[in-house]
Amino acid sequence: MIRLYDYELSGNCYKVRLLLHLLGVAFTARTMDFHPGREHKSEWFLKLNPLGQLPVIDDDGLVLRDAQAILVYLASRYDASGHWYPRHDAVALGEISQWLGFADALTATAGAARLHDTMFMDADIRKCRAGAHGLLRILDEHLWFAEQAGRPWLCSADHPTIADLACFPYVMLSEEGGISRLPYPAIRRWGERIKHLPGFTPMSGIFPAAAVRSPAGSPPTPG
Amino acid sequence: MNRWFAVSACGEVPHGAVAHTQLLGQELVLWRSASGALNAWENRCPHRGVRLTLGDCVGEELRCQYHAWRFATGSGHCTHIPAHPGQKPASNIRARVYPVFEDGAFIWVNLAHDAVPPNAAAAPPGLALRSIFTRAPVAAVTGQLLHGYADHAVCLVDEFTLDVAPAAHRSVRFMLQPVTGEQCILHAHLHGEVTALERLSVLKVHNALMSAVRDRAEAARA
Repeated sequence: MIRLYDYELSGNCYKVRLLLHLLGVAFTARTMDFHPGREHKSEWFLKLNPLGQLPVIDDDGLVLRDAQAILVYLASRYDASGHWYPRHDAVALGEISQWLGFADALTATAGAARLHDTMFMDADIRKCRAGAHGLLRILDEHLWFAEQAGRPWLCSADHPTIADLACFPYVMLSEEGGISRLPYPAIRRWGERIKHLPGFTPMSGIFPAAAVRSPAGSPPTPG
Repeated sequence: MNRWFAVSACGEVPHGAVAHTQLLGQELVLWRSASGALNAWENRCPHRGVRLTLGDCVGEELRCQYHAWRFATGSGHCTHIPAHPGQKPASNIRARVYPVFEDGAFIWVNLAHDAVPPNAAAAPPGLALRSIFTRAPVAAVTGQLLHGYADHAVCLVDEFTLDVAPAAHRSVRFMLQPVTGEQCILHAHLHGEVTALERLSVLKVHNALMSAVRDRAEAARA
C-alpha cells in the first residue's frame, strides 16, 4: 500500500491526499512533526529525501519526492480513465507541465507567506505577497477567458487534470498568508468547481462545499 | 453615500454562487439563490462576525461556515440555528442587507439602506467586458482614461462614469467601483452589436486596453 509522509497543514501534502481521494486509492499516512519538531530535517528523513521536504511517498519500495512529481506518478499509475494526466495527449501534457511549474511558484510566494504568518518562517513577506498577487492576477485572467470559451478548468481538456489540483491548495490558503482573493472572482468560481468534484476532501482552512449540490460551479452565462 | 455603484457583471454571479466584493470600504457578500434571487449583504455573520463569503448558498438561504446558521434570501432573516433545531430564531437575528438591483448587464449596489432601485433600469444591448481590479484610487484611473483609450477621446460623465466611442457603431461606458480609498474596480459595458464570432476577440482587445490603463494607474502610484 502507498505510504505518504504527510503533514496535515501542508498544501503540498494536501494535493497528494486530494488526488488519492479523488482516485479512490487507499493509502496510509505517516504523520510528520513539521512544526515545531522539524522532523522533515531529521537524520532518518533526510535519507528518504535529501531535500528535507514534504511530501514523500513510498509505493511498494518506489520512493518519490516533490508533490508535482507524485501527482504525475499517481495519476499515470492509478487513474484508469487517463483524465487526470492524459499521457498520450501532447497538448494536455504541455499545458499541465506549464501549470505544475506555476504551482511551484505559488508555493514559493503564497505558500511562503502563509508559513511566515502561521509558523514563523523567515521570509520577505512583502515580496512573497506581491509575488503571489502577480501570479493570482495571471491565474484569474486565464480562468476568466477559459470560462468565456466554455472551459471550466485550467487546461483546455473538458475535465480537470492534475494541473488544477497542483495549483488549488496554495491559492485557497492564500488568506492565511495575508493575501486577499477579493480581486479574483474567476479564481473563486474555479475553486468552487473543484470543491464539487466527486470524492473531494477538504483540509484545515479549505472548506468543503455545501452538501446540497448547487450549480455554483457552472461557468457564467455569456453577456 | 446615496449612490448606485456597479459592483459586478451579472454573469459573474451565477445561480447558487457566493461572491466577495467591497464598496467604499464596506465588505459585501454578493450571492444568488438557487432560484436566481440576488442579494448584497454586509460580509459578516450577525452571530460571531465571521465572513459570510466563507459560507455557501443552500437553496434560498446563505449558510455561515462557522455554526451553519442560515439566512433567508431577500430579508436576511435567520431561518435556522442547528444548535437549537426546534426553535424559531428570533426575528432580530438578521444579516445586514443592502439595496441591490441588476439592469441585465451589471449588478448595482447602494450603501444607503433606504435607497430604492430606479425604474426602467435596463442596460442597452451590448457586452459586459472583463472587470479590472486596480490597486489605485478612482481618480488615478479616471486620470489615465482621460488621456485617451486606444487614441479615442474619453469624456467624463460623472466622478465614477466615463464614455468613449472607439468605433462609429460602438461605444464603451466605464463604471468605477471604489473598493477602498486605494483600490477600485474598472467595469465596462460595450454598447452595440457584437457577433458570436468576434465576441472573444473583442473581449480580449478590451481586456488588454483596460489592463494597460490599470498598469499605468498603478505605476503612477508606485
